[in-house]
Amino acid sequence: MALKEQFEIPGGLKKWSYALMGVGVLTLILGVVFLHPFSGGHGEGHGAEAYGATKFWMALMHNSIFWLLVVAASFFFIAATTLAQAGWPLVFRRVPEAISGAMNVLGPIALVILLGYVWVSDDHHIYHWKDVEHVKHDEKLLHKSGFLNPMFYTILSVTAVGLWMWFRHSFRKLSLAEDLAQKGERSFYWKSLAIAAAFLVTYGLTVLSTLPWMWLMSIDAHWYSTMYSWYTFASSWVAGLSLIMLFVVYLKNQGYLEYVNEEHIHDIGKFMFAFSIFWTYLWFSQFMLIWYSNQPEETAYFIDRLGFGGKGEGTFRGIFLLNLIINFLAPLLILMRRGSKRNYTVVTLMAVIIIFGHWLDFYQMITPGPLKELGKESNSLGHFVFSLGVGAGFLGLVIFLTAKYLTKAPLLPKNHPLVKESIIHHT
Amino acid sequence: MSLLRYESQVREPLVDGHKTYHDVTEDICKPVEAAPTRLWWIGFIISVALLLFGAVSLYKEVVYGTGMWNLNKTIGWGWDITNFVWWVGIGHAGTLISAILLLFRQGWRTGVNRAAEAMTIFAVICAGQFPIWHMGRVWMAFFVMPYPNTRGPLWVNFNSPLLWDVFAISTYFTVSLLFWYSGLIPDMATLRDRAKKKWAKAFYGVASFGWTGSTKHWQRHESLSLVLAGLSTPLVLSVHTIVSFDFATSVIPGWHTTIFPPYFVAGAIFSGFAMVQTLMLVTRKIMNLEDYITISHIENMNKVIVLTGSIVGCAYLTELFMAWYSAVKYEQDIFFKYRIAGPYGWSYWLMMTCNVITPQLFWSKKLRRNIAFTFLMSIVVNVGMWFERFVIIVSSLYRDYLPSSWSVYYRPTIWEVGFYLGSFGLFFTCYFLFSKYFPVIAIAEIKHVLKKNGESYKEQMDGIEEQSVEEFAHEHAHAH
Repeated sequence: MALKEQFEIPGGLKKWSYALMGVGVLTLILGVVFLHPFSGGHGEGHGAEAYGATKFWMALMHNSIFWLLVVAASFFFIAATTLAQAGWPLVFRRVPEAISGAMNVLGPIALVILLGYVWVSDDHHIYHWKDVEHVKHDEKLLHKSGFLNPMFYTILSVTAVGLWMWFRHSFRKLSLAEDLAQKGERSFYWKSLAIAAAFLVTYGLTVLSTLPWMWLMSIDAHWYSTMYSWYTFASSWVAGLSLIMLFVVYLKNQGYLEYVNEEHIHDIGKFMFAFSIFWTYLWFSQFMLIWYSNQPEETAYFIDRLGFGGKGEGTFRGIFLLNLIINFLAPLLILMRRGSKRNYTVVTLMAVIIIFGHWLDFYQMITPGPLKELGKESNSLGHFVFSLGVGAGFLGLVIFLTAKYLTKAPLLPKNHPLVKESIIHHT
Repeated sequence: MSLLRYESQVREPLVDGHKTYHDVTEDICKPVEAAPTRLWWIGFIISVALLLFGAVSLYKEVVYGTGMWNLNKTIGWGWDITNFVWWVGIGHAGTLISAILLLFRQGWRTGVNRAAEAMTIFAVICAGQFPIWHMGRVWMAFFVMPYPNTRGPLWVNFNSPLLWDVFAISTYFTVSLLFWYSGLIPDMATLRDRAKKKWAKAFYGVASFGWTGSTKHWQRHESLSLVLAGLSTPLVLSVHTIVSFDFATSVIPGWHTTIFPPYFVAGAIFSGFAMVQTLMLVTRKIMNLEDYITISHIENMNKVIVLTGSIVGCAYLTELFMAWYSAVKYEQDIFFKYRIAGPYGWSYWLMMTCNVITPQLFWSKKLRRNIAFTFLMSIVVNVGMWFERFVIIVSSLYRDYLPSSWSVYYRPTIWEVGFYLGSFGLFFTCYFLFSKYFPVIAIAEIKHVLKKNGESYKEQMDGIEEQSVEEFAHEHAHAH
């Protein structure tokens, strides 16, 4: 049988990834020209102008954090299914393996951006806590400075991202070595279980707790919510699942992944459906409890987004509500039926919607805090388009890198002890 | 559907020994058909005695009022609500095993789902007792039902999570009962067909609703299972979510925190699995069911325990961190003065040790597969989870905002303890009756997995395991 086991990047895909990256670079250049990111934040210009640097960095941070967590979610998928000894994903596991390879480039990029903002940029509208003078007079921030300071920020970020990359690298090495080993050799399998477990613990201590507090929650530096990190995780996780779906369907349409059939698509679809509901569950729990108890230090966060008509309030109301519609209502209504989870067109459409939806979710988590002082002048539409442009660049990069990693190994881990279960998988 | 029955050899069999369909029926029906053993009687009598003690304790409380308990001015919820949350939590494992593991296609659920579902139902019954009798004037308990009445302004408060509890728990109970019972029907029919005594034939005849085992029956049965699984999955989550709202909607330091809903659900699964372990380890031993509830089943449940225990641990540490990070004085005091320290500090550390630290020992494969250690851990976890609720309730309440309202040290009275012991009596009385009159393992479902996951059948798959992927896929394609 002439199996297409080895992926070769089709010209079309290459063109698309270059085009998207081109859009990203162009946007970035326009940003440097018009937003003066390195001109220093304080005092220069008035109103919207003074926030140029803020907007520039915010778009970069939003996209680098979002896309890094989304590709990392691919490795979370591998780790979780490996540890659960799930057989069904084996016929397409090389796909999340390749996507998570993008961490090798996105990780360093995100670190450069985040640390660049913390150490190099003069702007401090995003992280108020990095303004030493301001913190001196802000009792709460002074109290938090043991956690929110550039040094700890750096150590935690570098350690976390470094560990994820290292775990992914070790796992991938085993996975590739297994291909060349003798059939029936199980040592790779058991070792990969240990890596998966260690990674999940690390992920629990970073993405499910400390990292989102530091990277994202500290943007609204006075505000706090114990749910925040789990919520961030759920958002990136469901987007990550959708990205896996997109690549699986793409490869399938190109004639690869012979053993993947609608049973596998159905199961990824179930994950997208279930974790969209899970995200909504966390969204509701966080929102409802804060709304119900109605304490000013907590409601401030949602007032910035929903607003009651005060200065700066409610600019993001549309996005806030849209977030719920496309991340909850759409998957709930569209993915509920069995047939739609087995239909390539529907799942592709939903995957695109969900990835965009959670990109938007991250947008509304990050942007309102820094821009609220600008109120209606914040020109959120302009900033939205700018972020979208930067996001296109990141997407192009993800496609480019994933395609590159896909070419580096056969698409079927044929010696894996569970691969046959995956071939006859029936949901 | 694939005709090929194949499962990877890295997986352990779910049914040990060389069983046939007939052996499965025999093994599981035997304890139901035989006369109860002496051990069963001893256990049953102890349970009924505890139940009676519980009844006396409740009599005292109803006649003399909730003053018979040591609840005081600020600790208005004490043992009673602690017990309520604890039992509801335990009542999560059954439906989780039946519904969520069914959706995840986990074959190992078949060994434990029946008993776990039964346990769920009994645990929810026990849980329900506490808020009901806590009302004091229990004869007015029906006031929680919203229906047109002549009580004028005395109408339920739809804004209160306590009322949502009424709906959530009663719905959950109903669906769990349906799920459990619909699964029982084919097995009841098996017992009916085998029954020799007249009353047994009549009882199992009525209980099996005229099941004949026709294809049509099976088809409907399977659809019903899937529908009920779909319904109960959100219900499992909703119940403990709403229980967590009882606390988290209040503006009380240590209660009002957004992570409560998912963390309560994780904790509920954690304690539920621990209780399943306690019961299963005893059941498999006494009823000779080691071939069906294998070490591998026990290991799987221990994995769930270490996972959920770690999730709960992550939530504890998150709360602790946020108490500091929030820079809110009240939060900080609750956590750092009155929880990890203070008169009730011991209960916090007991909770931490039992729920977070000791379950980490289950990272060791050896300990996960050690029966004595698992039994010990299942008790430790349930003690820990009881104290989790005790810590949440009591340590947040005993220091009110005004020092003049600081309560005296809270100790339960004998009637409070008696009520709790009585709930154990109720639980185990039900469980003993269940294990005597009902098949504790789902016979039909074991048969369903036997030819794929049974030990003797797996031995025949060695040949398939040797095949290359291409040969395997080719053969499979022709097996359709």
